[in-house]
Amino acid sequence: MNAYIPEIGKPVPRADAVAKATGAEKYAVDHYGDNIVWAGVRRAGVAHGRIRHLDTSVASLLPGVIAVLTGRDVPGTNRQGIIHKDQPVLADEKVRHCGDAVALVVAEDRATLQKALSLIRVEIDPLPGVFTVDDALRPDAPLVHEDHPQGNVLLKATIHSGDGQVALEGCDIILEETFHVPVQSHAFIETENGVAWQERGGKVALVVSTQAPFRDKWEISHALGLPLDRLHIIGPYLGGAFGGKDGATVQCLLVLAALHTGGRRVKMWWNREESFIAGYKRHAVRMHYHLGARTDGTLQALHCRLYYDTGAYAHLGGEVMALGMEHAGGPYRIPHTLIEGWCVYTNNPIAGAMRGFGVAQVSFAFEGMMDLLAVKLGMDPLELRLKNALLRGDRNASGVTLTQSTGIADCLTAVQHHSLWHERKAWKKEAPPFHKRGVGIAAVFNAMGYGRGLPDSALAKVELTPEGRIRVYSGVSDMGQGNTTAFVQIAGQILCQDHTAIELIQPDTERTLPSGSASAGRTTYTYGNALIKACEELRRRLTGRAALMLLSDTLDDLELLPGRVKNLATGREIPLTALAAMMSPEDRVCISQFLMPVVRDKLDTGKEFVIGFPHLLFSYAAHLVCIEVDELTGVIDIKAYLAATEAGRVLNPQAFEQQVQGAIAQGIGYALSEEVLLQEGRIVNPDFATYIIPGALDIPEIVSLAVETYEPSGPYGMKGVGEVGMNGPLPSIAGALADASGIHMTRSPLTAERVLAALQNQQEHP
Amino acid sequence: MTQVYLPRTLTELWTYLDGEPEALIYTGGTDLLVKMPAENANTAPALICLERLGELRCIRETADSILIGSTTTHAELLRHPLILAQLPVLAQALQTLGSPLIRNMGTIGGNICTASPAGDTLPPLYILEAEVELHSRKAVRILPIREFISGPGKTQLQKGEILSGVAVKKPADYNIHHFEKVGQRKSMACAVASMAALLRLSPSGLIEAARLALGSVGPTVVTATAIDESLIGKKLSLTSLAATAERIRQLVAPIDDVRASADYRRTVSGNLLLRLLDARTQ
Ligand SMILES: Cc1cc2nc3c(=O)[nH]c(=O)nc-3n(C[C@H](O)[C@H](O)[C@H](O)COP(=O)(O)OP(=O)(O)OC[C@H]3O[C@@H](n4cnc5c(N)ncnc54)[C@H](O)[C@@H]3O)c2cc1C
Repeated sequence: MNAYIPEIGKPVPRADAVAKATGAEKYAVDHYGDNIVWAGVRRAGVAHGRIRHLDTSVASLLPGVIAVLTGRDVPGTNRQGIIHKDQPVLADEKVRHCGDAVALVVAEDRATLQKALSLIRVEIDPLPGVFTVDDALRPDAPLVHEDHPQGNVLLKATIHSGDGQVALEGCDIILEETFHVPVQSHAFIETENGVAWQERGGKVALVVSTQAPFRDKWEISHALGLPLDRLHIIGPYLGGAFGGKDGATVQCLLVLAALHTGGRRVKMWWNREESFIAGYKRHAVRMHYHLGARTDGTLQALHCRLYYDTGAYAHLGGEVMALGMEHAGGPYRIPHTLIEGWCVYTNNPIAGAMRGFGVAQVSFAFEGMMDLLAVKLGMDPLELRLKNALLRGDRNASGVTLTQSTGIADCLTAVQHHSLWHERKAWKKEAPPFHKRGVGIAAVFNAMGYGRGLPDSALAKVELTPEGRIRVYSGVSDMGQGNTTAFVQIAGQILCQDHTAIELIQPDTERTLPSGSASAGRTTYTYGNALIKACEELRRRLTGRAALMLLSDTLDDLELLPGRVKNLATGREIPLTALAAMMSPEDRVCISQFLMPVVRDKLDTGKEFVIGFPHLLFSYAAHLVCIEVDELTGVIDIKAYLAATEAGRVLNPQAFEQQVQGAIAQGIGYALSEEVLLQEGRIVNPDFATYIIPGALDIPEIVSLAVETYEPSGPYGMKGVGEVGMNGPLPSIAGALADASGIHMTRSPLTAERVLAALQNQQEHP
Repeated sequence: MTQVYLPRTLTELWTYLDGEPEALIYTGGTDLLVKMPAENANTAPALICLERLGELRCIRETADSILIGSTTTHAELLRHPLILAQLPVLAQALQTLGSPLIRNMGTIGGNICTASPAGDTLPPLYILEAEVELHSRKAVRILPIREFISGPGKTQLQKGEILSGVAVKKPADYNIHHFEKVGQRKSMACAVASMAALLRLSPSGLIEAARLALGSVGPTVVTATAIDESLIGKKLSLTSLAATAERIRQLVAPIDDVRASADYRRTVSGNLLLRLLDARTQ
């Protein structure tokens, strides 16, 4: 390919495309090393119990076993966790879910490792477990964490605005419904893994598949009692993450193992089943809704009670619930709200961050309520949404004034004008025998950034290398979302260099600077803003230093061009290589920090949230789906999908669309088939033969419309687009099913079996 | 390290088998290797892979039957004019099996020997009255498929014996071929329920002959002469099919598992019959 200047707004090819397509790019899992040894974990296999006896002696004696470690061998607090440090690296006296790590083995090879793991004798006295939110909330419930002051309630919180619940009484119409969503798995391709080794000076290096290399350092340091300067984390491109690698997975275990291998590299790589059992999940939630409206469709009041099952450890449970609560009212103007949430410990697998962080769940509920209201009022469901859609300047359901770009009405209008919407009636009439057709819509949104209470900051670093190239040091992981391509575009735009002259360094705690986690749709927004400042500073420096060599008495005539700086008035130029040779190393590097702005309203609500509430910026989307339901089997076939997405300005149309498409595909899985099935805390479908993610044939053609607004606080006017698409498929497909059949499903996923049962039930009790 | 043998002829195969009587035999490996967890791969006895055994990789026709060598892949079958022209019911089933990658590796012999109630080639093979050919060093024997498969994952295959091929009668008497599978997604899906059907419809629309087979609703593929006969002489109408559908629901013996409940399987196995209303004659 010819050289081009990667610029803003162009469908610039992904910076990682060639290296990944040719297999040259190394994911964490591709890292081995000479003389490598293997680490693995013996898991509890019991959802709740006390360890009575743990005998590692036989395993330790097996030839080829290097170390067998238990909770007693963990230096430091033996507690990991992002905000609440409640998860042991290795269980001490108790186990709280089947995936708890009980012992860590390091061995010469994988066969010996497996053998040694099986030789560890673990005797656990089972304790009665809590496996549902209701069980966990009973006054006499067994406690998952005896030392947690609120018993099994990790966090109880309320958001209140206007007159709250009281306002329901004055409403013309009050609708009530309860919705259930199950546990979802991230199902990334590259399972949790890493390689660690101890260097001569005692420092431990770790190459790991992670969304948060800098935070990992703090988490490991806290859990293992190692000083921060003894840890070096390297975070290459990830083979998918979706939130499941935000927080320690293998990190603490691997660093602990590396302390026992005499400097040899140690690798841990969870297989798919272990990834299911021990990895993080999306929260199952039960949602009770009361929605009040006027007869003309104006929303008046909302009361909801949300119950998040957070599993055995806190992880980001409280923060996930906070975001769900903040979105519980949908992208609508509702003057009076009371939103109550309970985030509850159980002995189920650990729930945590996942794309659409708490919001994918409530989207099903608030859009389900809108569909019910439209039916009740005999109103066009799109008109109803448009009528209530939030506009800039409105206050949202949390009472926050929307001061920034707010494009949901534009998204709905784009759908309304599309042929799939206005030709839907004719299309529905053409349903083949034994099939019904329906068209559903959903209006969704997703906050961006950490929210109040946690500085959402990035530190960008850009360098003119001695070779005259531009090197961007990214401190924030790229798990496939393509933020690094945006970084290249920003550098190209400002520094006017060919794509072949721009290099990227992936996160590395010794080379790049702390820039927060790859999460919350923030990577391009926050780091990009910092990078703009750093690149502008570098451009000023390069022209400024070139002025000296080109004998220019003003900077006005100087222009940075590919590979050189030119004086346009005199025609004289200096190559960047020569400029670099003249500059000192520190002069060639620019560093800049950006801090995301926050909400300024003084809110008298949501006080229970230490961090992560409220948010200033949201991305929006309106989705439309056309489905065919098979009356003989209950199978839902998605025939067409349309997404109108507002995430500020589009920096790269191709990358934007990839996020929309990927999120919708994942959302279709969530809507139709994905469900982690649990029996007394044990996962019964921990593999891809029985945990059903969609395949290429299940995903229809997706039409993506970018509804651009300008977000003044964003780099070149953008906002994050990675998550919002996840939230639309479940509610829009449920809406389409209701449109086709009159059945409003309140429990997901909408499996063929559930749909057929509902159709039969409808026939028997019309 | 586990030894893997790749015989090119039957003679080589018998020699390898003499040397490694405990060896596991496989062809595409899409069932066998998946069931062998990576961690234990090294503890497996020797493996003998039939993939390169050219003698068994064939599709041939005689006057009244079609012979398929056991190591023929699903993709090869789907490309073959004989299969497409004469055995549409089998072709339709193959089209739903796994994914292009699985069809490139997986074989008809493997599908038969796995003997899963959800095996997609099995309902068509049952109603095509398939007979399997079993070879050992000393003997060849032939069994009807319904006798060869004796339970879920169970066959009459003896030690030292391989499945060399399968023969089906040309279904010249039938002018409707139909297969449908219900799975949890559109590809890479294990059948939750499936149905294969062969019908002969008279010009006036009466059913003159019928054969039905149901997958995934019993320990092996379910067929019943009484059900087939109940359709004969009837018009292809909603009423006649609905009556037979009800008899099917009473006949089948599905189980509850992680993919679906027995109730759902029972209902759908009957419902699938109604689809014949839309089936086109060939
Ligand atoms: C992702 C995936 C999706 C799948 N989807 C489907 C599906 O939709 N429908 C379906 O029916 N199946 C499906 N399967 C199962 C499998 O692909 C098929 O059953 C395939 O036909 C098996 O053929 P094979 O040659 O790979 O069998 P192998 O794995 O090689 O062998 C299977 C069994 O048969 C025995 N065997 C094989 N060949 C012979 C022989 N010639 N003589 C004696 N014994 C023999 C082996 O010992 C073993 O017990 C799927 C498998 C995977 C991994």
